Amino acid sequence: MTPTDEGPKENESDIARIHGAILREHAEPRDGYEPIPLWLVGLFFGIMFWAGLYLAYFSGGFRADVFNPSETAWAGGGVPQPVGPVDPKLAGKRVFTRNCVVCHQTTGLGVVGQFPPLAGSEWVLGHDWHGDNHLVKILLKGLQGPVQIKGATFNNAMPTWAQLSDEQIASVLTYIRSQWGNAAPPISPDYVKKIRGRTADRTEPWTQKDLQAIPPEKLPVAGAEGDSSPATPQSDSKI
Amino acid sequence: MNKLPLLFLGVFLTFASSWIGLVAYPYLALGHMQPLPDEETGGSFPPGNSGLAVAGQRVYAANGCLYCHSQQVRLEPLSTDIEKGLGPRQTVARDYLRAQPVFLGTMRTGPDLSNIGARQPDANWHHRHLYEPRTVTDWSIMPSFRFLYKMRKIQGQQSDDALKDLVGPHAPPPGWEVVPNEEAKALVAYLVSLKRNYPLPESPEPPAK
Amino acid sequence: MKPHSLISSFHPANEPDTLASHERAEIDASTRFPVLLFFGSAIFWLLVGSLLGLVSAWKMTHPAMLDQMAWTTFGRLRPAHLNTVIYGWASASGIGVGLWLMARLCRIPLIHSKLLISAAIFWNIGVLVGVLGILAGDSRSIEWLELPGYATPILFIAYACIGVWAIIMFRYRRPGHVYVSQWYLFAAFLWFPWLYATANILLIWEPIQGSAQGAVNWWFAHNVLGLWFTPIGLASAYYMIPKVIGRPIHSYYLSILGFWSLALFYSWNGMHHLIGGPFPAWMISASVVASVMMFIPVVTVAINHHMTMRGHFDALKWSPTLRFTVFGAMSYTLASLQGMTMAIPSLNTLTHFTDYTIGHAHLGLYAFFTMAMFGAMYYIVPRLTGREWASAAAIRWHFWLVATGILLMIGSLFLGGVLEGLAQYDPRVSFKTSLDYVTPFRWLRGISGFLLLAGHLVFTALFALMVLKLGRRKDGPTLFAVPTGGNPGASAV
Repeated sequence: MTPTDEGPKENESDIARIHGAILREHAEPRDGYEPIPLWLVGLFFGIMFWAGLYLAYFSGGFRADVFNPSETAWAGGGVPQPVGPVDPKLAGKRVFTRNCVVCHQTTGLGVVGQFPPLAGSEWVLGHDWHGDNHLVKILLKGLQGPVQIKGATFNNAMPTWAQLSDEQIASVLTYIRSQWGNAAPPISPDYVKKIRGRTADRTEPWTQKDLQAIPPEKLPVAGAEGDSSPATPQSDSKI
Repeated sequence: MNKLPLLFLGVFLTFASSWIGLVAYPYLALGHMQPLPDEETGGSFPPGNSGLAVAGQRVYAANGCLYCHSQQVRLEPLSTDIEKGLGPRQTVARDYLRAQPVFLGTMRTGPDLSNIGARQPDANWHHRHLYEPRTVTDWSIMPSFRFLYKMRKIQGQQSDDALKDLVGPHAPPPGWEVVPNEEAKALVAYLVSLKRNYPLPESPEPPAK
Repeated sequence: MKPHSLISSFHPANEPDTLASHERAEIDASTRFPVLLFFGSAIFWLLVGSLLGLVSAWKMTHPAMLDQMAWTTFGRLRPAHLNTVIYGWASASGIGVGLWLMARLCRIPLIHSKLLISAAIFWNIGVLVGVLGILAGDSRSIEWLELPGYATPILFIAYACIGVWAIIMFRYRRPGHVYVSQWYLFAAFLWFPWLYATANILLIWEPIQGSAQGAVNWWFAHNVLGLWFTPIGLASAYYMIPKVIGRPIHSYYLSILGFWSLALFYSWNGMHHLIGGPFPAWMISASVVASVMMFIPVVTVAINHHMTMRGHFDALKWSPTLRFTVFGAMSYTLASLQGMTMAIPSLNTLTHFTDYTIGHAHLGLYAFFTMAMFGAMYYIVPRLTGREWASAAAIRWHFWLVATGILLMIGSLFLGGVLEGLAQYDPRVSFKTSLDYVTPFRWLRGISGFLLLAGHLVFTALFALMVLKLGRRKDGPTLFAVPTGGNPGASAV
């Protein structure tokens, strides 16, 4: 019998007081020995079977670099490679996502009253007075003042993106010209380079009026990468 | 089961199984990941953060932003995160390499912040929003963080970092300005740095809809 | 206390029943101070935690309330609430109940009580320092592990005392059959320090980089629920149910199956908090599978308890202990079944990131664990203070206030959460609309907080009266109603 901290007399009366609650208690809990129901066992095996199937289908091959449970096989190889040369359209999408989405939105619909839409825009598609040269020029120098797009007026300031490379500008313009239902010819990096050279002296962003004064240029269609000579003769003396 | 050693062994082994699978395995497989080089700019994916943005993570932690805001973009069909514009692709392990701690979050009482730096790149917007969210979004239930800012009399001319375009009940009266203290500046630098829209081979972008 | 002489063996005062009671009385007397210290601390933290939770809840519908200071911003009050109720209320009450159960079941008086008293004091200091630290801005923002680095070692020291004590008690137990509650308690007392140490080392002291942190974080948090609170709650239910009604537990074999399947599957569940997250697909799938496999231990325990109670459900009419405990045990089954459905990815789509998750958390920690702890305390405290509870009416108020409160809370969070989830899934629906759907339910949740706080105040008053020796001195337990006659053990609470 382990001695308690209290003296024997207090101990006795203590225990006598507690007795009341304890005396009426049942014995300490004990176990019964009923068997496990058979239907429960069956159910358990059923669940384990399901579990095995689930793991087989949705574990991405138990690889550390597969993050999508629906992928049962990933052809990308064991070690992730550094990003190499990519599909120009995907490159264009990347440039768009990193730079343009904040204003023009992923949907290309812009924000009413604030940022113009690109989807179905005559500026992007090269309809009316708009040429491929105007599009490239906007990216190189920016655009400000009131502009009309699809019947709506916008009066905001688009910054210059001259810090992007010719490849990046060409790829993003090609991207917006083939997204959201748009269908217009791609722009080549050589053409961007040419326009950049021509407009090297200009420091101000364009206005709609400035651009309208410049005759539009439309490039030949379909993959003529090296051929950047415009179909119509150029007369950019007003740049 | 009357034997203490047997009970101990069972208790230990069952625990060890999940410890190996959910603790040791991610430590080994994911804990030593390196950023990937960015060939276009010479940087890396994920990009490095400024010192101020790193300090901002501490402010984010101290004020419990993660209890309302998650930072994970999930795939279809489990979610419509990408379609809603929360990010161009699923966020994966490598995206959180520079985060300490990792603010994955488990609640969206407020919107997901994985790419908030891409959606709202303007620091002044963030300052206005933190100062009094309901002046930016009138239905917002986000609490005000004006205790991260100081209202003071303009000395001479307005400070460079004074908040612009403040309206509402806590806007400064004429002759006064509101400036962010160091914690607010760090927090906003961190928020503006939140972008997971660079490419990673293990997280392919789904085709645009 | 064996009789010494031949004559004394025939003395009426030395009846075998009386001897067993003497033993138990001695055991109870030895546990009195440590257990009441843990209970008192727990109830204090329950009040603090309820208040913090109430204010946090109302801040979601009234964000301008108390927004002037950093100390009262939602992002600090909410983790303060979480840590107070987990480490303050739930852990302290769990330890108190666990100590008493261990002493009773090992059938030896509590030894090294000074170790436990030091543990209680350190534990309280750790929680106090930690919660104040969170309010001051030192929260780690790692869910369930927010306590700042200067508080966690204090808790760890306190805990180490308890863990060591548990092993010693178990070693010196009276030889014989080891009852199921002892397995759960022994396991819980070992699992918690292993969990806490791993999480602290890999997330705070030497943090691993990248999203691996999320995996360790939720492995830890889920296991605090599954390997610390659940075993203690089940240990208590496994003791109280058969004890009060005087019947054996239905099946020893089901107990074994339930225990080991819980040990094996529960600890793999953690990743179901991160479905869709930045982790290798197999980890998430493993957690989904483990969550569904939890069906096995949960249904096993439910059958065991139900079959034990069968034919004795009328005891719920008069026994406070049983009413709270059975409410808790049934909530355990419901919470676990609900959790299983939430872990399935197609359903997780609707519930992830919404208030539904919060409802589930309260179903587990409150409707199961807290109610089971109330039930245990209603049984244990009279045995430690030598008094009976002061007023059956007050116990009745306590029960109905908290039962209504928790049902209102979880109901409103489930409904609101599902609407929120449906709205958030549809890309054409704005965030504002999802907020409009869930806001009325947040008001209801806020109201439930008042009911819960009121219930806790009633309980605190009852407890205080007991400790101050102001309980009833009459013979007979404090019951809701007169027990139905003809049942010899009917008043054995």
